[in-house]
Amino acid sequence: MTTTTAVSLRGVTKKYGAVQAVAGVDLTIRAGEVVALLGPNGAGKSTTIEMLLGLVTPDQGSVQVYDGTPVDAIAQGQVGVMLQSGGIIEDAKVGELMNLVAGLHKKPMPVSEALDRAGIADLTDRKIKGLSGGQKQRVRFAMAIIPQPDLIVLDEPTTGMDVESRRDFWASMHAETARGRTVLFATHYLEEADAYADRVVLMRNGKVVADGTATQIKASVSGRTIRATVPGADLAALASLPGVRNVETRGEVVLLQCANSDDTLRYLLENTAAHDIEVTSADLEDAVLAISAGSDISAEQESLA
Amino acid sequence: MNRDYLIFDIRRTLRNRRVLIFSILMPLVLFAIFGLTIPKDADQSGISAIAYVMVSMAMFGSMSAAMSSGGVIAAERDGGWNRTLRLTPLKPQAYVVTKVILSLLLAIPPLLVVFLFGMTAGHVHLSVTQWVTVALVSWLGALPFAAIGLVIGYVAKPDSVQPITGLSTMLIAAFGGLWLPVDQMPSVMKHIAQLTPAYWTGQTSRSALTQSGVDTHALLVVLGWTVVLGFIGLRRFRADTARA
Repeated sequence: MTTTTAVSLRGVTKKYGAVQAVAGVDLTIRAGEVVALLGPNGAGKSTTIEMLLGLVTPDQGSVQVYDGTPVDAIAQGQVGVMLQSGGIIEDAKVGELMNLVAGLHKKPMPVSEALDRAGIADLTDRKIKGLSGGQKQRVRFAMAIIPQPDLIVLDEPTTGMDVESRRDFWASMHAETARGRTVLFATHYLEEADAYADRVVLMRNGKVVADGTATQIKASVSGRTIRATVPGADLAALASLPGVRNVETRGEVVLLQCANSDDTLRYLLENTAAHDIEVTSADLEDAVLAISAGSDISAEQESLA
Repeated sequence: MNRDYLIFDIRRTLRNRRVLIFSILMPLVLFAIFGLTIPKDADQSGISAIAYVMVSMAMFGSMSAAMSSGGVIAAERDGGWNRTLRLTPLKPQAYVVTKVILSLLLAIPPLLVVFLFGMTAGHVHLSVTQWVTVALVSWLGALPFAAIGLVIGYVAKPDSVQPITGLSTMLIAAFGGLWLPVDQMPSVMKHIAQLTPAYWTGQTSRSALTQSGVDTHALLVVLGWTVVLGFIGLRRFRADTARA
């Protein structure tokens, strides 16, 4: 039987001592989705992932991966995991380690193919100890894809990579998602979530505070910003326009955050001497900052999801 | 048992020759000092003294080799490798069995080298049956030490595992009568010796050379030690992997 739900977390909580690491998370990931789990350090991303993988048992709630528990799914070889750090044997050669990992799985792809896809075919005979941080991450990536899993889980995969390695890494990753794999990755790089995920799940203080496409999350928060030079601007009048949320001035330059930029723009052109006008949509960073600053929009989750 | 894992471990151990060389050289040197200096016709506990020392030293070598798998386990735990393993279909029991087999394989070279040295340089004369029996029984005698390696691997940190393994090897060998025959020690030492698994493995192996044949009582004690230590090792293993 094929299921369309890859991962289902229901009311999951986890407390470490006095710290409520995860405070009630509901999350459903459908097969084929590429989901970014975004949030600052301490938001509960790693604990959520650990519970999803069966490494940590939740205090409350249930976790289902495909048709069973995380442990079942792993035993079936349905899940490939790339951990953030550690988890490799440093004094082994790349090829040796990959042969070992292939031997631990039931239906692995050939080692040479995994190395190729991860872009490290030339490192086969190198000792892992001597590799750079980015190269080690690629070894971990190869380990995640070699079981030919249905679901790939990556915990902050590009930590410690330079810009070029990150771009190469995501190109490799893209080839995997193009094969229809379901992917969940945790990150605190907003641009990665924006560029590579179909769906962004934003966590803060152990809860999901926003869930939708990057575009939806951006739109849900701040609409657009108009920046214009307005000599002798009547700030009170601008602030009272319908849909204008906030007005800032920097000398003669006025910044207007508005829900409906078209109406505001029309007003500016017809009623003021505004010139040098720019209209920008908020980027994901603005949205995340706004949400993280407290405007909890989890009520909008349903309509976004 | 996982075949690929065993191959991986063997390759890694062969590259890391220090442990292997030490486990062969130490007993050879001790054998040369204590064994080759003994008068040819001397007797110890009913067998020729030189054969007695040869078996003791072979046991000492195979025991320290078998315990060295603890270092492999401690290193794997430290680097988060166990976490990776939990994210694969590998069954925990398969991991433990693989490591025990690794221990038993590591125990073979010291046995063979010391016996060959005894046969040639030491002029120890045994029948083919006796050679085969003493080799097999000595190899079995490495089992409790494979289990000790498991326990140490799950208790020690990578930087403390070498000294802990080294010290326990020496203490168990010395108090268990592998270095100096227990009969030549004060009687209180004999009681202490009987509390170590090494005494019983030595007893079992040497009994293969006597008229009465393999001491089944001693062999049962060896297997008893294996069961108890194996159980402790498995419990440590469970505690280590199930920290959720």
